[in-house]
Amino acid sequence: MPSAAFTRWQNDRTPRLNEVEAHCAAVLALAPPNPAFFDESLRGFVLHLSAHFQGFCRDLYTECSQIWISAIPAGFQATAQAQFSAHLALENGNPDHNNIKRDFNRFGFLLNLQAHAMGPQQVTDLGHLNIWRNKAAHQGTRPLPGGVPAALSLPIAQSWRASCDGLADVLDVIMRGELLRIMGVMPW
Amino acid sequence: MPTQYLTEPMKVGTVVKILNSGYGRAKIAEYRGPLGPNGARVYRVLVQKKPRRVYIEVREDQLEVMDKA
Repeated sequence: MPSAAFTRWQNDRTPRLNEVEAHCAAVLALAPPNPAFFDESLRGFVLHLSAHFQGFCRDLYTECSQIWISAIPAGFQATAQAQFSAHLALENGNPDHNNIKRDFNRFGFLLNLQAHAMGPQQVTDLGHLNIWRNKAAHQGTRPLPGGVPAALSLPIAQSWRASCDGLADVLDVIMRGELLRIMGVMPW
Repeated sequence: MPTQYLTEPMKVGTVVKILNSGYGRAKIAEYRGPLGPNGARVYRVLVQKKPRRVYIEVREDQLEVMDKA
């Protein structure tokens, strides 16, 4: 059984992203073509994807912290909740690997999303997604770092989405294991 | 077994007290969803406005309603 955060990723966030992706595909198929509208649509897709992945990470972090907190005496819980809520990187920052690690490392382990076979590519894709997310949100004009796609395309955005899907699954599994290690019972 | 609720989630703006804490009156800022253990409702609560806003996330069973929104 997955976490409530991952269930929401699958049952609410994924259908919403499906709609945005279908919109992009429909705009791409327009005749005559409308490249400017397609570019705007892709940028919107990138923004939505990054936002939903950030939302998933925050939901999972909240869920894990509340489960952890429920295991300590009632008199300590508000104090622990204040500590878990303070200065979260995922509150205002992009859901990149560093910000995810910074928040989830509060559970007393060193998170590494690159440890499984697909991890390095997925983390690279997540980094590229967030660079394009910032470029789209801020109308960035600076040259993109090396290795980042110079132009958006639907297959690129779809591959970033597949990586977010994979990372969401991995993060859910990692946190289930960590909470089991900490608490001695399955958290969900 | 998921927690069953007979009421709607608290509304944004509801004034609450966080039980077993040193915080005074606080306000519901956001319903975060059933993210607590066994699906318990979790809220983001504004506990301080100045000099900067401070929020904490707590379960519904930790809250006592003081004024409805």
